[in-house]
Amino acid sequence: MRLAFDASVEAFRAEFLAWLAEHRPSPEEMAAEPSLSTGHLPGWARRFTRAMFDDGWLVPGWPPELGGRDAGPIETLVYLEELARARVPRTANVQGLGIVAPSIIDYGTPEQVERYAMPILRGEQTACLGMSEPGAGSDLASLRTRAVLDGEGEGAEWVIDGQKVWTSGANYADVCFLFVRTDPEAPKHKGISILLVPMDAPGITVRPLPEIIRPEAPDLNEVFFDGVRVPASNLVGELNDGWRMANGSLAHERGMVWVSAVMGLEESLERLLAEAPELLGRLSGPERALATDQVVQMAIETQAARALGYRGFAKLVRGGTAPEQALMKLYASEARQRIAQVAAEVQGADAVEVETVDIDGHLAVDEPQGTWLEQYFHSFANTISAGASEIQRNIIAERILGLPRG
Amino acid sequence: MDLELDEDQLALQAGARAVLADACPPALVRSVVEGADDAGARVGELWSTLVALDWPGLGLPEAVGGLGLGVVEVAILVEELGRVVAPTPLLATCTQLVPTLAEAEPGRGRIDDVLAGVASGSVTGTLAVAERGRWAPDEVACRAEPVAGGGWRLTGTKTHVLDGATADELAVVARGDGGLGVFLVRAAAVDGSGLAVAPLAVMDPTLPLAAVALDGVEVGADDVVVAPGDPRAADAVDRALQAATVALALSTVATCRSIFDATLAYAKEREQFGRPIGSFQALKHRLADAYLAVERANALAWFAVLCVAEDDGRRAVAAAMAKSAAGDCQRLLTRDGLQLHGGIGFTWEHDLHLGLKRAATGELLLGTSLFHRARLAGLLGLSGGEAVA
Repeated sequence: MRLAFDASVEAFRAEFLAWLAEHRPSPEEMAAEPSLSTGHLPGWARRFTRAMFDDGWLVPGWPPELGGRDAGPIETLVYLEELARARVPRTANVQGLGIVAPSIIDYGTPEQVERYAMPILRGEQTACLGMSEPGAGSDLASLRTRAVLDGEGEGAEWVIDGQKVWTSGANYADVCFLFVRTDPEAPKHKGISILLVPMDAPGITVRPLPEIIRPEAPDLNEVFFDGVRVPASNLVGELNDGWRMANGSLAHERGMVWVSAVMGLEESLERLLAEAPELLGRLSGPERALATDQVVQMAIETQAARALGYRGFAKLVRGGTAPEQALMKLYASEARQRIAQVAAEVQGADAVEVETVDIDGHLAVDEPQGTWLEQYFHSFANTISAGASEIQRNIIAERILGLPRG
Repeated sequence: MDLELDEDQLALQAGARAVLADACPPALVRSVVEGADDAGARVGELWSTLVALDWPGLGLPEAVGGLGLGVVEVAILVEELGRVVAPTPLLATCTQLVPTLAEAEPGRGRIDDVLAGVASGSVTGTLAVAERGRWAPDEVACRAEPVAGGGWRLTGTKTHVLDGATADELAVVARGDGGLGVFLVRAAAVDGSGLAVAPLAVMDPTLPLAAVALDGVEVGADDVVVAPGDPRAADAVDRALQAATVALALSTVATCRSIFDATLAYAKEREQFGRPIGSFQALKHRLADAYLAVERANALAWFAVLCVAEDDGRRAVAAAMAKSAAGDCQRLLTRDGLQLHGGIGFTWEHDLHLGLKRAATGELLLGTSLFHRARLAGLLGLSGGEAVA
């Protein structure tokens, strides 16, 4: 138990920082060509992802041929922290790099890796993740979009009909990692498969769903599949094994997801503490004391998130289980929401204004931008998506605490 | 940053847990809480067991007879003692007296003798800083006047002194013309010394408290830990308080964890409407939040332990955050722990209240959450300006 990192880890950090200083896109470059959705790669994002891939900095824990350098988990932690601190995203296509590419590498054929995963790693193509449906949100396993095999042998094709919703980046993505029902007779968890579907296939209709913040650049979409045909060889992994793979896919870098959440929280706090003297200075008497206490509580929340993250991480590195990891998504997303809400209240009437700057969301770096009120509403993206807070509490109660299912 | 115990530390933790499971059962705690005739003997026996295992000297240097381990190892013991609501002098002696003495110049006066006594188990002690239930050093009114020969005369009343009625050595914080100072006062010399110790009747007798009145108590030059006017004095008091605060935070969170464990077990076994009450989502979500509160406070407490152990610049902030989070934690755990147990938890015969009272008491000593958040406002640079009421 100690506060400092080993010298070798610090050397790794220095090497990465030196590389980053030379290759990072400038803030001006990024501002001039904002990413329009998590499926959209601006020119700077393509160049930067490619540079990271070529020099082994894209996913440091992976081997060099996949854009890594076989780094250990502690090095990866330091890398993610520095990346977040520098406010540079590895890619705009977070689900592509974080979930789709690694899943194809784990479960796909060599041809699928070459055709679909490598272009994502090289910053050439983007992917979206077709999971949620109108009737299958938190209860994902009841998804109904179906795929039926038509024909036999070489020429056989899957024919897909159904609808997905909340599909991030589908409006720009090149390919969809699509969860479909392939055995309607089986129990719901056992009849799901995964298909790779090019988004330009005939029969696909994408309808963007403008969000409550920054509606002019929607990231979420409805995606309709009407007799869409893909080759039988686009099946990822085993038939009807999609649910097991889904749990594997979502576990990729799960031990690390907290890093960006905590860094985002720390950036929010940093901004609040920087603004606090002026904001609190406008208040007087008991109101100032009450507002000050709210800010202090947010500082405690933030430090707690980091301490929790590090404790869980230390257990994982030792090869143990880390219940803290399961708490981080719930804790960090709710803390982020509280901090924005507190800040807006401390800021008072000025928080009603809208800023024209880019709101985060479409960047892997969860950088707080926009007014506090915008951030507050935007923060619901993280308490609702990827397992709403209520689901997280059920998971904690049932899987960690061992309480019986209701 | 590595916030997990290493293998030796994990072994110490497992060993301590095993020892206490045997040496400090709930029946022993209950005997203390109920003031049973044999309570004193049972606590003495427990203390003898811990002394035989060298627990009091675990964190002391080998030069004074200690084992030479560090703050983290002592914290491991504190956590395990808190978990079983143990009534022992270890908390006051090892996390209040010892860190205070550590602020003195090495080898000063009789400090090494006292530490040797602690290491051998023959001496217990505590820190007497609070007045009128307040732990703010700048509110200390107790006076220290110099007397001939380098000694000092102490006058004032200290309150809420942990183990104050039983400790052999009291580290008393008092104010001289030059500022704060810390002095060792022998509790044995009660007759005619001007020292009067009055135990408080408290809800949780496992954390016994006393008021200590000093009516011109004279101490010698050998008894000075740090003298008024010494430029390090104010810092020494702050640092001693930080160490004590972090330990109490950790102990309180550990007690909360045992409340949580008991409540979780009860939610799994208690059936109503034909199923375990823990299968109802309303309870699941409360238990998930309680679990989160314990983990959150535990993580902050250990971060603070590490800051104290490594003398990191963040120790003041970390200590205040740890105690504040421990307070939040006990607020939720005493409430939901009792509420979710229902009527059975409200009965004297159930052991739940042993932990509830210890946790609630932990929040109120060495500064409440409110106190530490107000301190944090200053430490984070938020309380400047004349506008603060």
